[in-house]
Amino acid sequence: MSTVPVEYFLIVAAVLFVVGAVGFLLRRNLLVLLMSIELMLNSVNLTLVAYNRLHAANHAGQNLAFFVIAVAAAEAAVGLAIVLAFFRVRKTIHSDEANLLKN
Amino acid sequence: MNFRALLGVAPLLVVALGGALLMVAEAFSRRRDDDEHGPTGPSSELALATAVTLFVGAIFSAAVWFVGPEKIEGANAVAPYIVVDRFTTFVSFILCLGAGLSALLAGGYLPEHKLDRGEFYPLLTFSTVGAMILASAGDVLSLFIGLETMSLGVYAMTGFRRTSPRSTEAAVKYFLLGSFAAALLLYGAALLYGATGHTDFDGIRQALITPVGKPNRGLTLIAATLVLVGMAFKVSAVPFHMWTPDAYEGAPTPATGYMAVAVKTAAFASLLRVLLGALGHPDLASWGSGWPPVLAFLAVLTMTVANLTAGRQESVKRMLAYSSIAHAGYVLVAVVAMPKAGAESQGAVLFYLLAYTVSTVGAFGALILCGSRGAEAVSYEDLAGLGKRHPAAAAAFSLFLLSLAGVPPTAGFFGKLNVVKAAIGAGHIALTVVLLINSVLAAYYYLRVLVYMYMRDPAPGAPIAKPMRSGYVAGALVLAAIAVIGLGLWPVLPLRVALAAALAAK
Amino acid sequence: MSSYLPLFLLFLIAAVLAVVLFTLATVLGPKNPTPEKLMPFECGGDSEGSRFVRPSVKFYLTAILFVVFDIEVVLMYPWVVSFKSLGWMGFVTMASFVSLLVVALAYVWKKGALEWEK
Repeated sequence: MSTVPVEYFLIVAAVLFVVGAVGFLLRRNLLVLLMSIELMLNSVNLTLVAYNRLHAANHAGQNLAFFVIAVAAAEAAVGLAIVLAFFRVRKTIHSDEANLLKN
Repeated sequence: MNFRALLGVAPLLVVALGGALLMVAEAFSRRRDDDEHGPTGPSSELALATAVTLFVGAIFSAAVWFVGPEKIEGANAVAPYIVVDRFTTFVSFILCLGAGLSALLAGGYLPEHKLDRGEFYPLLTFSTVGAMILASAGDVLSLFIGLETMSLGVYAMTGFRRTSPRSTEAAVKYFLLGSFAAALLLYGAALLYGATGHTDFDGIRQALITPVGKPNRGLTLIAATLVLVGMAFKVSAVPFHMWTPDAYEGAPTPATGYMAVAVKTAAFASLLRVLLGALGHPDLASWGSGWPPVLAFLAVLTMTVANLTAGRQESVKRMLAYSSIAHAGYVLVAVVAMPKAGAESQGAVLFYLLAYTVSTVGAFGALILCGSRGAEAVSYEDLAGLGKRHPAAAAAFSLFLLSLAGVPPTAGFFGKLNVVKAAIGAGHIALTVVLLINSVLAAYYYLRVLVYMYMRDPAPGAPIAKPMRSGYVAGALVLAAIAVIGLGLWPVLPLRVALAAALAAK
Repeated sequence: MSSYLPLFLLFLIAAVLAVVLFTLATVLGPKNPTPEKLMPFECGGDSEGSRFVRPSVKFYLTAILFVVFDIEVVLMYPWVVSFKSLGWMGFVTMASFVSLLVVALAYVWKKGALEWEK
């Protein structure tokens, strides 16, 4: 049985990363921004795991992916807590309205 | 398992276990109501315990230094994840020192401003653990873990004043941009792994050097760019500095001080390791086809933009934020000089980070001392006439600002002198000239504070900042002042230590 | 490419089946709309309130604690797979990791984050 070429995974990962990055730069809802960051981290995981097939001697890529998953969860927890604190004070999760601190 | 091996990572373990103990102690200690007991809440003792933990970490770092990390058998058992060498030890010392002083500042500031919740201290300690891991990381894995451990703590500390719109907004901005930068860095690292098959810095460098199966050049360049952009965010180099002034202004001042010193020091230490380790390939480190011109451009941009903007600020805290960006620019000059000037230049970076740490913690500490509950010193106007009302606070503030401005005989002067020497030694005359012009520009806004403190009287009827009283803050200021003057009067020995540390980093 | 053929067929059959069933139901089914039938179905009761119900913040705290502790298990899978080759050193390492998690759990408990009604 033939396998899916590594390039396919890499292209999907790159597309996911760009979708996440563009979403981060264009969207204005703080929760969507959080999701964009998660999307970017997941595309990193896909990249790492796909490349691991090329460099199977040591499982450095798989290793790193495990830790990225764990750290991403912690990051999401802190991020949601911060967005929640922001919402409680400002009653909005629109990033345009985060405009108190300016030059 | 060799127990002597634990000595190598002792500073890290001490701080980590101390943080866990503090966390439990904070949760299980009985709460006292803030309003009834005034400014001596439960966190006062925690502040002292935190400072002690962190200073013990600094002492252990010094001990490892004197024993000599290379003599400790099995100290590098977990290399490349945690590299124990003189570079690690020196940076750990700076980090513990800066964090310990910040903890003392928090011990005075938090009760004074009704923020007396003990969670701040475990956050600070764990964040320092992250910073220490980041500084000793020789692999992308530990780099990422250290970076995130450090950053998550700092995000939480930034938003510590939960009811304040400005504090939460600062936390939101810092968190989003910081995580975005981390994701960019990580994607770059993943691509670098794809190009080379390694996640450890040595392996990456060697794979880039070996002609056999030469990694794809385009892929390597994209990967290196992403990594550098991610790191530039963390050291807050222009144009990746947008989060810095907002986060610094919105955060409680001790957290700002911690961010300014520990986060920046750890990020620069890690930048050095990445540049010398992973991207240390002679091609990539050459002026013609590598990172030095890019970083030189960033350095010029960082210094100039930060200094021009700092001069226009009306808030002293925001001015100090821009000043910290400008200092990142000065350090970048020494980083650019690394491939040509070698260890001298790395030594200049390390010495500068030490001098910058004590001066900046001192400056934020003095700013804390100048305000009290309900009347935090923020603008230049708040400081008017302080020289008469509270000579000690004004004198301390002046000392730290002069050090930041680089006036002899202070720590800041020798920091800058070494950077200039390294840059000239590497033949970067134009960069040196830009640095000197910028130092003159910077003197304007530092001296402006002095002018307000000593030569202006407060406008009649204007709200005046009343200085607070706190043994913790005063103690931290005295320690920082001793360090600033000590480094200024006897710079030779610390500089030699910094050089020895620099030689350890490949 | 042939290995994708079954997958493709599966998608095709699923799509065709869905379209056919919906079409048949629309065409053949008797239609006799009454106001009761047009109401949103809610287990027989009358529907009340707006469509947007903001869930309580309590769910957030529990959910986020669950996510953090749950994801830590990810780090145990590789350990389980290579349990024998890691030996006692691996066991001690994992034990210290889990004991750190226990400390964190004790912290969360003591802070009252696990209390549902406050």
